Amino acid sequence: MRRLPVYFLLDTSGSMHGEPIQALNNALSGMINTLRADAQALDSLWISILTFDREVKELMPLTELVHFQLPEIICPQSGPTHTGKCLEALHEKIKVEIRRGNETQKGDWKPLVFLFTDGKPSDIQLYRDMVPKIKSLDLGALVGCAAGHLADDTLLKELTDTVVHLDSCDSTTLKTFFKWVSDTIEQGNKSQGTGERVALPDPPSEVIVVI
Amino acid sequence: MSDVKTYIQKLIEARNLSKGSSVSNLLEEFCSDPYIIESVHLILNTQKMLTNKWQIKSRIEEIIHRSIVIPNGTVGKMYEAKLDFVQLAMNDLVYTEFEGLSEYGLFYDNESETIKGIPEKAGDSKIILKFRVEGEAESSVLNEKKIALVINPDPKSLWKNIDSDPQDPFWKKDNTAEFATIGNGKHIVVASKRGRSHANVGSFRDDDFAFKFLESTGWSVVVISDGAGSAKFSRKGAQVVCSAIVTYFEELFTAADNEAFNALIFHYLLETGEDTVRKLNHWVYHHLSKAALYAHNQLVALTKELNCDLKDLHATLSFTLFKKIEEKFVLLSFGVGDCPMAVLSSDLNKVTLLNWLDVGEFGGGTRFITMPEIFSSEKFHSRFSFKMMEDFSYLMLFTDGIYDPKFMVEANLEKIEMWQNFVQDLQGANQDNCAVNLSPNNADIAPQLSKWMDFWSIGNHDDRTLAIVF
Repeated sequence: MRRLPVYFLLDTSGSMHGEPIQALNNALSGMINTLRADAQALDSLWISILTFDREVKELMPLTELVHFQLPEIICPQSGPTHTGKCLEALHEKIKVEIRRGNETQKGDWKPLVFLFTDGKPSDIQLYRDMVPKIKSLDLGALVGCAAGHLADDTLLKELTDTVVHLDSCDSTTLKTFFKWVSDTIEQGNKSQGTGERVALPDPPSEVIVVI
Repeated sequence: MSDVKTYIQKLIEARNLSKGSSVSNLLEEFCSDPYIIESVHLILNTQKMLTNKWQIKSRIEEIIHRSIVIPNGTVGKMYEAKLDFVQLAMNDLVYTEFEGLSEYGLFYDNESETIKGIPEKAGDSKIILKFRVEGEAESSVLNEKKIALVINPDPKSLWKNIDSDPQDPFWKKDNTAEFATIGNGKHIVVASKRGRSHANVGSFRDDDFAFKFLESTGWSVVVISDGAGSAKFSRKGAQVVCSAIVTYFEELFTAADNEAFNALIFHYLLETGEDTVRKLNHWVYHHLSKAALYAHNQLVALTKELNCDLKDLHATLSFTLFKKIEEKFVLLSFGVGDCPMAVLSSDLNKVTLLNWLDVGEFGGGTRFITMPEIFSSEKFHSRFSFKMMEDFSYLMLFTDGIYDPKFMVEANLEKIEMWQNFVQDLQGANQDNCAVNLSPNNADIAPQLSKWMDFWSIGNHDDRTLAIVF
């Protein structure tokens, strides 16, 4: 059976403390429930959650949706945003966890990555070092999501062509965004030409796409 | 007596009242007073009671906050979650019961400390563990701990079967099956079925096929194609390439071309020298590549008509021509994409693969006849094959909707036991006891094959097309 691996990289730096992290938890939980009711997703989806603030944590190792239980995402009251360090962790994980097809093994679908941040990387040097390495991973899609006015679109654009900007981190906006994420995930397991990318559905009007 | 004395001594020390030389004598006398003794015992007992209560309360808090994770269940599938209280370091629970299980059709078996049952509905909720710890009174109100319980829906129940839009210009039947004679003493049964992933969203079958016995030249041709799920008009692309191959051999392949081949084959039957083989291979390469290019060019022409890109028509292409010459079967084939073609020997003890598969490192990454680079690639010549054999039991061509669930990986295509199992599977050795009687006298053969193709396989819900020549 082919797996569709999806990685969520979630910003849990100090600025997310309080209402935003609550909204994020709710939106993620809603998304998981939507996916659970999707026949295709229930059969093939594997999810991993990495969080980053000062530390990078693997909150949930790559787990089949059928067995997945969403942990509560918490964040410290203050502290830096180590996005670069998180990309480094992602790079390692993808190299180890993704099954590539060969004579005796069924390859995974190309992994999808969603990076959610409300700020900008504090470890900018490492972030920029990781950009080419992440780009070389042959991902199905990498969606950068910048939420709120402090989030830096330009830096995300260095990482990926698909950058989505959310005006705020409130509950309604995040819900809409993660609904779109689940639609995108449902696109992730279709046959395509070698080297081609996953076609993303149009994002809802509430979220503004930078590119 | 000594505990009374110790208590008083500590008390007066703590209050800084133990100065003076007569303390020792006074203490002795003070502590022998029955009223004092009784008072101290009262205090000590009260303290003990308070400590116990504190311990119990903090233990309950600890249990409430300790994480207990139970596995997710699935509707209709036997569920069993053992709560190993010893392992959880909770063997001081003297009473346990659960609330919220029955609505899912589950129950808690105290004896085996197991949540059991067959879940009846899906949901994501918290069940409540009601418990009493050691030391709590029998009459005390039960404590409550929430534990997450996730019941997944039955995946089978989630698939919808939405008809595709018959008004669409490229509409085709969601399911189709045919049986026919195909010349050279053989018959063909073929079924093509829209995958559940397409039925679920009301989209179209992208697979296609075509076959024909070409009377003028004596060749039988079978073609299958799988349109890319990500390409918007791939269903049309698949249809066009299938009919293009038939058209090519029917109309553009001349009697002279055919005669040239016959001459080569007769020569080959006399001597299989290097030069003859080279000429044969060259002939196969020349004519089959012309057919493939013809199919490609039909798609190029279609892009102009539809004002779309070639990649919107992405489709694989696998075809085999066969013919009986001098009591031997000659099979010629070409393949691009991930649809296998194979021949099984009459005694079912040998499989001959007619093509290799374009499978990428990642799922779904294959190659299509739409890709011009196919024709210029140095591997192009390896896409053709020429085989000759006494006879065969089955010639099979199928799309990845059959290959993925039944063969999984390329290495399995080379194993004869996989093919033997596959034939047995077709004959009814499967979960549903669904059989296809592969006999030309079977009037129901086509619907039987179509029904057989409904088999359930987790994660494999693509279009399925299977052509069997026998």
